[in-house]
Amino acid sequence: MMRTIEVLLVIITITAAFLISSLFAILPSPRQVSPINLRRLALTTLQALDMDYDLSTTVFKASNDPAWGQLQIALSACLPPNIVYNLTIYDVLSGGTQLYSVTKSISNAENLGVGSDSSSYLVASSNVTFNVTPEKIGEHGGGGTLYILNCSDANGWWITGYTAQKLAEDLYNLLSPYFQSTIMVQNTAELGQILNGTSLHGETLQNAVVINTYGETVPIPAGYYSSSGVGYDTSRNSYALYDYTLGKRVRQYNWTWASIVGWPLYYVSNTVTLSSSQNGWGINGMVMVSSPGLQAFLQGLDNQPYSYGNSQTGSPGVVYLSSVAQYYCNYYGIYPSPYQTSTRALSSSITSTYHLNVTTYIFDQVSGWIPGAVYRNAVSGGLLALGLTRTPDIRLTALGLLCDYRPRLYRSEYTVAGTSKLVVLQLGQLGGA
Amino acid sequence: MAGSTIDHLVSVTVFLAAILLFISLFNQTIQTAITYQRHRYLATKCSDLLDNMLLNPGNPIEWGKGNTTPTSFGLQDPEFTQYRLSPFSLMRLNYSAGQPVFYSKTGQYYSNITMGFGKSLLVPFNEVINYSTAAKLLGTNGTYGFGLTITPIITVSISEAQSNPLQLAVTVMGAGFPLANANISYCFLTVKATGGEGAYPSYTVDYGTNVTDDQGSAILSFPSFDGTQESYVLIVYAHLSGLVGVGYHDHVRYDASYVVPFIDDFDSRRVLIAHSWDVHGGDNPAEISYNATFVLLTEDFTLREMPLGTGAVGKINYGLGKPYNNITISTYNPGLLVITYRKSAQESGVVLMPWGISSMAFPISFGTDPIQREWVTTDVRQVIVSGIAYQAKLALWSLEGYQVMG
Repeated sequence: MMRTIEVLLVIITITAAFLISSLFAILPSPRQVSPINLRRLALTTLQALDMDYDLSTTVFKASNDPAWGQLQIALSACLPPNIVYNLTIYDVLSGGTQLYSVTKSISNAENLGVGSDSSSYLVASSNVTFNVTPEKIGEHGGGGTLYILNCSDANGWWITGYTAQKLAEDLYNLLSPYFQSTIMVQNTAELGQILNGTSLHGETLQNAVVINTYGETVPIPAGYYSSSGVGYDTSRNSYALYDYTLGKRVRQYNWTWASIVGWPLYYVSNTVTLSSSQNGWGINGMVMVSSPGLQAFLQGLDNQPYSYGNSQTGSPGVVYLSSVAQYYCNYYGIYPSPYQTSTRALSSSITSTYHLNVTTYIFDQVSGWIPGAVYRNAVSGGLLALGLTRTPDIRLTALGLLCDYRPRLYRSEYTVAGTSKLVVLQLGQLGGA
Repeated sequence: MAGSTIDHLVSVTVFLAAILLFISLFNQTIQTAITYQRHRYLATKCSDLLDNMLLNPGNPIEWGKGNTTPTSFGLQDPEFTQYRLSPFSLMRLNYSAGQPVFYSKTGQYYSNITMGFGKSLLVPFNEVINYSTAAKLLGTNGTYGFGLTITPIITVSISEAQSNPLQLAVTVMGAGFPLANANISYCFLTVKATGGEGAYPSYTVDYGTNVTDDQGSAILSFPSFDGTQESYVLIVYAHLSGLVGVGYHDHVRYDASYVVPFIDDFDSRRVLIAHSWDVHGGDNPAEISYNATFVLLTEDFTLREMPLGTGAVGKINYGLGKPYNNITISTYNPGLLVITYRKSAQESGVVLMPWGISSMAFPISFGTDPIQREWVTTDVRQVIVSGIAYQAKLALWSLEGYQVMG
């Protein structure tokens, strides 16, 4: 009998243990086991409501504006019927210990039940402009002048479909924020003036960037720069000597000369002095210099003696933006096509012949050909050459220069008071266990 | 001695019985807890899987615009971030809720989304992504089953309130609430079947706006239009605070023979124009002429026509020896293919096909049915498909067959 009593005592003990353990081992309710991810639902709801910036617009309106009613209708309409919500708008404060203050709250229930979750969403006012202030090239050193050739008395070649003036205008819009001063060189006389070392509007001549918007052609000033021994090689009956002089000037002033498309310096143009000439393809006011033009320029740039001879270009076909250029596409928000066709790529051998360093590859090198790059002479002066086929995409020129100079962008803070509001959507689920 | 032995036997028997009972009770508690843990894991898996589908575009990222089978599955629009889905990737999903259509002249079955007469999207089976392919790409094959439904949040219902002069009642509803004071932009397209025998139909387009009342309803009146005498289609865009929905209503005067558009090739954007008798059969078939137009939805909710080129007008006949026609859509921008057709000046109609699932707010149902499954977990996201608000819901269950206890 004693053992039976002992067993009963054991049973009572185990029963007590089971009951106590069952009491503490509370299993979660089915809703907690398989919950709808309310946090994600809240976030995606806010994103849907802000698809066309309607939410961003509404939260900055006065609290009695009818837009709030529409927002509440839209919110109710897009959530499942068993979901209750509380939408709270906070002002972003600054200068104190409190970071946010409630400005408005809308809800469709007194409380959100036993379990809820929320997501926050920062919206910016459409009335506030978030400035991106670029660092000016030359701000922390010399230079900072951008010359864009916009000569009314010259014609372009291989800029098919555009005029040099239109390209100049687009380049001005793209690049002028990055330079201390941007000067449109309106005619060849003004070009001659800066070649002579005289500024046009008091700008800094040294260390400037000169963009030739005329494609394979370069405007040539009348007079001194077209004369024998300076611009005209009488023995070869060629204006290659002008390109040589140009190269010397680029070296002298430490300019960066930018060629936007094709074979650089293949023609010279002046619609007045060369009006009776044509470039071999029926364009008047233009004379073909052919391949010696580039060689002469590079000789001048490297301070070598002038020697008439041919330069070389290659045709590597489809070429791709370098990883550096792709990175700066995102940084500066310039998005040309990442692949282009190159038929006038410069030979990589020029780097050793003319003491050039490639400071920026705009396109990846293909074998011995460089489709687009910025070259800098070991002493002074530089050349940006895009050996692409026509028609030019001037965004590539802008991208190449920005990749090389890399001016920083200073962006406005999104959390500045009055510019942003924090929207918090808290969701709760009704019904179910 | 005997009493002691009996006492011993009784106590041991009772003790063993009690131990077995308690082992069973404790075991049940533990089993239930394990099952709950598995269900909890399933819910987490469901949320992850849904995000995995919606937040990556797949590979190649533009697989929705071509014929290739993706090597990874994702529905995000590659031109956007967050929960914005590609209207073309969605078009390439096999619509599980629709009855496949067989077209004998191509010898192919087609995935079928049909939203009433003349509003269908038919995609060949050899170009759709089926469930088993998606399951393999998502790594759920054999372990989890799923069903993905993507439905428009805003429902725009249109009915004819009066035929002559025509009045159409528009009701705009959200998922749980009528859309009061919603702006309505509509496009009213009427078929002009005028001309002699064999002439091609033409159409006119009128635009207008309205606002819904507190019940989400509005009446659109067309005072000089007799709804009994002409075929027409009304396309309505309703928008309020970022939510945009689409609805449509048509009335055709002749449906014994009509045009059935099939997607033929995504790479070349080719669409086949078939005769309805070759697809659905019917009585009294006849040759019909048609006039196809492609229209894009602009940001101000008006429609802009795009040229279709060769094959935009033509005639189509039924039966053997009468080939289908084809047209090429010139863009990958979502829009509507509107095909007006006529047999005679009194017998005309219009059919629509979306190019990009969102342009007609077609729903998507992809995957298998969870019926008879022991535990199904769901999760929901709000998504945008080319400007139209949708709700994506994923139902997920385990295929490993454990029981629900407790």
